[in-house]
Amino acid sequence: MASISKLNRHQARTAYVFITPTILLFVIFTIIPVVMAFYFSFTNYDVVKNRDWVNFDNYKRLFHDDLYWTTFKNVAYYTVIFVPLNILLSLGVAMLLNFKRFGVRLFRTMNYLPTLTSAVAAATVWVWLLHPEYGLVNTLLGYIGITGPAWLAQTETAMLSIILVTLWQSIGSNMIIYLAGLQGVPDYLYESAKLDGANALQRFRYITWPQLRPTTFLVSTMSIIGALQLFDQAFVLTQGGPGNVTKTPVYLIYQQGFNQLQMGYASAQAFILALAILIFSLINMRINKSEESIV
Amino acid sequence: MKKWISLAAIAGISTAVLAGCGSSANDNASPSSSASSSAGASTAPADKPAGKATELIFWGDWSGEGQKQFETMIDAFNKSQDRIKVKYVAQQDLITKFLTAATSGGSPDVLLWDRWRTPLYAPKNVLHPIDELLAKDSISKDDFYGEAIKELSYKDQLYGLPLTVDARALFYNKKLLADAGVANPPTNWQELEEAAIKTTKWDGNKLQVAGFSLGDAGLFNMYLQQAGGTMLTDDGKTNFNNEKGKAVLDFWGRLLNQDKVYKIGFEQGLGESTDAFATGKLAMTYNGPWMLTTYKKYGKDLDFGVVPPPAGPNGDKGSVMGGFGLVIPEGSKHQDEAWEFIKWWTANKDNALLWAKTSLNIPGFKPALDDAFFKDDPFWQPFLDTLEIAKIRPGHPGYSVLEGDALIPNVQLFQQGKQSAEDTLKKAQQQGDKLLQDNAVAE
Repeated sequence: MASISKLNRHQARTAYVFITPTILLFVIFTIIPVVMAFYFSFTNYDVVKNRDWVNFDNYKRLFHDDLYWTTFKNVAYYTVIFVPLNILLSLGVAMLLNFKRFGVRLFRTMNYLPTLTSAVAAATVWVWLLHPEYGLVNTLLGYIGITGPAWLAQTETAMLSIILVTLWQSIGSNMIIYLAGLQGVPDYLYESAKLDGANALQRFRYITWPQLRPTTFLVSTMSIIGALQLFDQAFVLTQGGPGNVTKTPVYLIYQQGFNQLQMGYASAQAFILALAILIFSLINMRINKSEESIV
Repeated sequence: MKKWISLAAIAGISTAVLAGCGSSANDNASPSSSASSSAGASTAPADKPAGKATELIFWGDWSGEGQKQFETMIDAFNKSQDRIKVKYVAQQDLITKFLTAATSGGSPDVLLWDRWRTPLYAPKNVLHPIDELLAKDSISKDDFYGEAIKELSYKDQLYGLPLTVDARALFYNKKLLADAGVANPPTNWQELEEAAIKTTKWDGNKLQVAGFSLGDAGLFNMYLQQAGGTMLTDDGKTNFNNEKGKAVLDFWGRLLNQDKVYKIGFEQGLGESTDAFATGKLAMTYNGPWMLTTYKKYGKDLDFGVVPPPAGPNGDKGSVMGGFGLVIPEGSKHQDEAWEFIKWWTANKDNALLWAKTSLNIPGFKPALDDAFFKDDPFWQPFLDTLEIAKIRPGHPGYSVLEGDALIPNVQLFQQGKQSAEDTLKKAQQQGDKLLQDNAVAE
């Protein structure tokens, strides 16, 4: 008995030694900055000179900051369209490419390629593709007699264009995650379902989809976090215009913190955004609720 | 239970990613009491023995061609004496790096300074005032463009010297104007409108040649000056919700919707080599001297001219002056040597001229302009004329936010017919005044 508990203690010690570097890095680069940012959100911290406690002034100001809430509406709209489409398309592509056929690897690679491009470089190319007069998109539309809009310059289409470009770029990596998930679904489930006479649609509905729940949870959670933190593509494609319809909270946080030296206020904005992400993730968790534990 | 763990994990992830924004300079909040000497091998005392030069670190965000131009000047300076040796370091995210350096030590000795930032940073005591140095060397402020000096000043103290000055003037395509029967480039709004109508070419729904560029709503300030107005009042409130602001929007609305000389989004995403003006798809546009090189390089068949901006309905002229300066950070340990370098570069006729010829920028030092290089050049002269009337942006720390978040978005909605001119000005005023107030300087 005694020797077993001794062994356990030894194992526990070793385990702590092994996780120490990670935990240390996590504390230094994650926990401490989060705590400090929370503290700064109650100060008038400006990086260089002031750091006085101002109680809830930053949060009060935030409450009346119409522009900040506009940017929230923008990313909420973006998230609501982007996340379901992202799941639908990456799962669809993954299922198409889940067969063992000649050349399927080539197609997987090609579908993954957009993910490898830098967000800014890809966005620059898309600006050109979406040009109202000389862009490829409107030229193609012109062949079937449609005068395309000025995609990025018009208030109606600017956010849709950003959704299109970010989808194009994020489907690849989510496809890989779904492919891994699909290959983890045991074959015997399909086999017995087939024996019972289930058709393809039923097999998807009652086997594939439930088996992929953990994968879908991962993909949707990461897309929600990414969507609410939208910044670089939107910045390159439209610079927040036209008429503020593509400005995002992260854009404002950066501007307030680094351009206006109001790091305290920017921290408050960042915490409200974090709260929003938490709420969206909770809703997502509800939707993905399943009998077995997810994580 | 497990659910709560995963919840906590999500909260952790999301805040951590966000905190990246706010935390990069957090740990350095204490003032620069512990200023280390990481700025280079510069620990030699002031009365060092001969032969051991002081090394100065010069930060800027120009890379590529710009870096070469800087290095040409630095080489010339380093060769001109043996006490000081300057080294240029190109920083991508200049202002963020400078913020970190200002609080943690390791500050550069000379900094390339986008001048409009002065009213935000000067009150924070991160820049070194140079009035005494100026007086000691009896350098006169009057030798520089007054507006540029004003932009580098805060509360009657001067924080740097202007390195470059620029302002937008009207570029016009000589061939397109001649083909359309326009004999002379426009000198006022009415002539501009007439010339734009004549040069515009549509092919059904496709705009082939735009008569005049209306792509940049940020030029409102310039037009407002031409209409006889100013962006802000003296006590720091918006001043464009009046008949002068209305005149600008009416003019733009007429050009866009009635005369149809432009289409929104027409120039978006066109790079240097496919620039609409360089490729003859745009007859007239406001641009600065920085585009001269591009137009000469890419527009092989482009025969263009430059004239000062056309005057408004009451004959008022206007353009917005911008440009860079050189400043000395308060954290520098070699401020006297830094001053020597700045003085040599920006307040010396020959060196300022060498800089102009090297970089094709207009220097802020006026005596250097009195040279054949500028006087006999048909492209420089209109810019020099424009600089005489050009005004800097208002020196309010919240001004750029007012423009970017209140004025331009509302003007864009107006351009797309989403709101009337009156609503546009009213909303821009309300939102703008609030932003100005929220972003006023906190000392």
